Amino acid sequence: MLEAFPAEPYRLLAEDGTLMAGASVTQSPAQLRELWQDMTVVREFDRKLITLLRQGRTTFYAQASGMEATQIGIARGIRAGHDWIWGYYRDHGIALGIGVPIEELVAQMLGANTDPNRGRQMPHHPGSRSRRFVSSSSSIANQVPPAAGMAMAQRYLGTDEVTICTFGDGATSEGDWHAGVNMAAVNDAPCLFICENNQWAISTAVHHQTRSESIHIKARAYGIPGYYVDGNDVLAVQQAVSTLTDQMRAGGGPVLLECLTYRVGSHSNADADAEKTYRSRDEVKSWTGRDPIVRLERFMASQGLEIGAEERAAEVTRIHSLIDSAVQKAEESGQPDWRIMFEDVYGDLPVHLRWQYDHLRAEQLAGQEGTR
Amino acid sequence: MTATQEPGVRQQPSSSAATGVTMTLIQAVTEAIRGELASDERVVVFGEDVGARGGVFLATAGLQAEFGSKRVFDTPLSEAAIVGAAVGMAVRGLRPIAEIQFADYIGPGFDQLASQAAKLRYRSGGQFTCPLVIRTPSGGGVKGGHHHSQSPEAYYCHTPGLKVVMPSTPYDAAGLLRAASRGDDPVMFFEPKRLYRAAKGEVPTEDYVVELGKAAIRQEGSDISLIGYGGVMPDVLKAAEALAGEGVSAEVIDLRSLVPWDRDTVLTSVAKTGRAVLVSESPRIGNFMGEVASVVQEEVFDSLLAPVIQVAGFDTPYPYVQDRIYLPGPTRIVRAAVKALTY
Ligand SMILES: Cc1ncc(C[n+]2csc(CCOP(=O)(O)OP(=O)(O)O)c2C)c(N)n1
Repeated sequence: MLEAFPAEPYRLLAEDGTLMAGASVTQSPAQLRELWQDMTVVREFDRKLITLLRQGRTTFYAQASGMEATQIGIARGIRAGHDWIWGYYRDHGIALGIGVPIEELVAQMLGANTDPNRGRQMPHHPGSRSRRFVSSSSSIANQVPPAAGMAMAQRYLGTDEVTICTFGDGATSEGDWHAGVNMAAVNDAPCLFICENNQWAISTAVHHQTRSESIHIKARAYGIPGYYVDGNDVLAVQQAVSTLTDQMRAGGGPVLLECLTYRVGSHSNADADAEKTYRSRDEVKSWTGRDPIVRLERFMASQGLEIGAEERAAEVTRIHSLIDSAVQKAEESGQPDWRIMFEDVYGDLPVHLRWQYDHLRAEQLAGQEGTR
Repeated sequence: MTATQEPGVRQQPSSSAATGVTMTLIQAVTEAIRGELASDERVVVFGEDVGARGGVFLATAGLQAEFGSKRVFDTPLSEAAIVGAAVGMAVRGLRPIAEIQFADYIGPGFDQLASQAAKLRYRSGGQFTCPLVIRTPSGGGVKGGHHHSQSPEAYYCHTPGLKVVMPSTPYDAAGLLRAASRGDDPVMFFEPKRLYRAAKGEVPTEDYVVELGKAAIRQEGSDISLIGYGGVMPDVLKAAEALAGEGVSAEVIDLRSLVPWDRDTVLTSVAKTGRAVLVSESPRIGNFMGEVASVVQEEVFDSLLAPVIQVAGFDTPYPYVQDRIYLPGPTRIVRAAVKALTY
């Protein structure tokens, strides 16, 4: 039973993949397999994109390895394409899980012509209008007040949609976070605030970030329920998210959900030396041992749904070739032309931008050496 | 406080070069902070990830190990708390040097800067002061997209009570940072991140300051004044070199500090050359060079042989893919100069 403010994180699967006493699992074998596949896609996406980064074909990457259960549990717990998401840069797993095509994500990461964000943002800022995933912002926590507002609009318009707002543990220190959660609370807005607590904000450990014993406990201050889930247990995350969103669809107000997980890799390629500068190998090792994919695999095996080595290898190969062909398509599409730099600043091109555009155009035509 | 340079003097660490060390701009920043920590117990250094990690660009690398976590420490992820806490510490007698991880992220701390730091001295009739420094990497050219490449200095220039500084050389970075830290007013210290490692130069080992409000003449010339600051300076110098190849003698001025800014040096130069090209990478509308242009035409109108021309960033959010096109490179600067010269 999902309870507010529990002492221990809610889980259905123990760390060794056995079912917790009294727990029951509602997913069908096919659904379990899909969860496994989705998580494997996220893991392999990280692997492939890091390779591309090393090859200099992209410039930035922020892994979600270790957090697959949290992100896929969220994606599979909501009504994808119906509910709206204000996520953050590390949420490519959620994007993949709700059906944002790999091709779109890869195109974004490569700044390609086929990027739905039109090459405007640095890599790793997913966004998809059709899947209702609002293009992410790099600024920590500034998606929180807009998420509250969107949920207020949903209530106002009488929809049965909910808003999902995700963020890391570090984000809960920003003023925007507090302002946004409070705004949703006093307006009873159907916003599910989810902290993907991966325990580090770059080099700052969560206990240096906050003196709260947990993140979900902060909900008390805003008069809303706080839930706490083992974020490496995809079944628990999915169940919690679907239970809480159902409650909100039935008229419930905002809640805060903390998924306790761990970022196994570095924060981004900029701190690939994480283990040398700020965290211990032992800590990382202990969390690698709590791999969310392995946990689900063990549970599946206990249900007679073992994933054999061959099947795993075939799945990995399938995913890699999907990503490879996405990369090829993205690279073939080229990069957005310089002209589009002036578009989408406003709905129409104001006169001063027209003027700047004309100048640059003349220069581009005059000297094919470009502007450098 | 003593300045080692006079306004308008060609600036090189000459006499002290014997005891100088070649370092990058970011190393100069680190050394200046280290010196301030060592010489003044009131100095404290903090921000996101500045401690064990030494900052994401490693500007504070090694300082926590050297000075302890009471003097060099990580904060929660809150720019409002960082800036606001700096104000409180400064009022109580410390000399905070706080880091905001990217200039693009000062937003949440803006109210603390504009409403507290900038106004406390004034609104208290001078009873309280805020001697603090906010250091922050800014500017583009690093493939960071808008959230890691903006040049937001104009917002701060528009806020009376704040001083605004942007070095372009290691020598200036260290000298200006020391001056900022020793002054009694809040200083926004923008560090052009694309020059962190690209700009190298000789830095004296002894203590020196570069007074805020003095421009540096990087190159003397008689035909045209090229005026810039921060990350664009290497490209301004390249443009001057290209112009020299065409027989044009360009005077190159690095403002170094925007509030206050060195009107004398700029006006003297433009009065001499009769032409000015103003280079900055921030969006054009409302950028700092608009003020320079205005003052030039107000004060030395009669000397002008051509309109004052601006080369700036475009009035678009800083783009990711067109990163290099956005920045005013040497070609755009040269074109602007030619336009002024052939007016
Ligand atoms: C307002 C703001 N300040 C600083 C940064 C720089 N920064 C980028 S990621 C990050 C840490 C974020 O940690 P957390 O919220 O825990 O999310 P995680 O990356 O760990 O998933 C920081 C400080 C930023 N992006 N935005």
